[in-house]
Amino acid sequence: MTLWFVRGLRRGVVTTRYPARPEESARYLPTPPAFRPRALTAGTADRLAASCPSGALRRADDVLVFDVGRCTACGRCAAEAPHAVTTSGAFELAATSRSVLVKTIPLRGETG
Amino acid sequence: MSTEEELRAAIARQFGRSLHIRTLDTGSCAVCEQEIRLLAAPHYDLHRLGFFFTPAPRHADLLLVTGPMIRAFEVAARKTYDAMPGPKVVVAVGACALGGVYPADPFTHGTVDAVLPVDVWIPGCPPSPLALLHGLGVAVGRLAEKVRDIPFTAEDDTERVRGAS
Repeated sequence: MTLWFVRGLRRGVVTTRYPARPEESARYLPTPPAFRPRALTAGTADRLAASCPSGALRRADDVLVFDVGRCTACGRCAAEAPHAVTTSGAFELAATSRSVLVKTIPLRGETG
Repeated sequence: MSTEEELRAAIARQFGRSLHIRTLDTGSCAVCEQEIRLLAAPHYDLHRLGFFFTPAPRHADLLLVTGPMIRAFEVAARKTYDAMPGPKVVVAVGACALGGVYPADPFTHGTVDAVLPVDVWIPGCPPSPLALLHGLGVAVGRLAEKVRDIPFTAEDDTERVRGAS
């Protein structure tokens, strides 16, 4: 108790406006997926889109359109194609415009 | 300075120190509410940041909306928004509110933007208290929006090896 008080006085700051260092617990949060463009083919993209229960993924010609706002981080796409999908680790996703949350992922995988 | 920039500056000035939040559940499964309640826990302690929960929209500056906006709640949502004094901010919380879980059908609108003018969108199912804290910071202009610069692509293994050597 005394040590805590002295340490607080010495630092001069009791609280911070936002977590000052990376939050430990954030590692365990389910986060939206990240995609490996070189492992993505049109076929893989279609399979990912079909596996997404919330409609966050769809293929538009040669890109995979990922709506982060719709993603529930359920992990079904990572289970469908583990070689092409990993977790992004990003959780501070607040956006001031809805369109910012819609990402386009290029498909660079070799077909056939 | 455009009208939008002026408004943002006014919000930062007026809401920079203290802000009262009214939560509005438009048909969510209540997990978003659990995370919102966790914001008041000692670990996150949003009161030290000048955010407070208020039980009445008349006292609120920020409307924290969860759920897919069921049609039966539309009138109540509009009345809540109209009852708030200006300037006011609407924050949509969770994948339901952003259109990810329920489609627009005779029972739900599917998104909050269909009824209310949303200013900040917080994705997540549910968004963690840290994500909500970041979203509130973005809403009052204290924290920068990060998601704009996240590409959601992972480096290929070959590139990672090359980068490490």
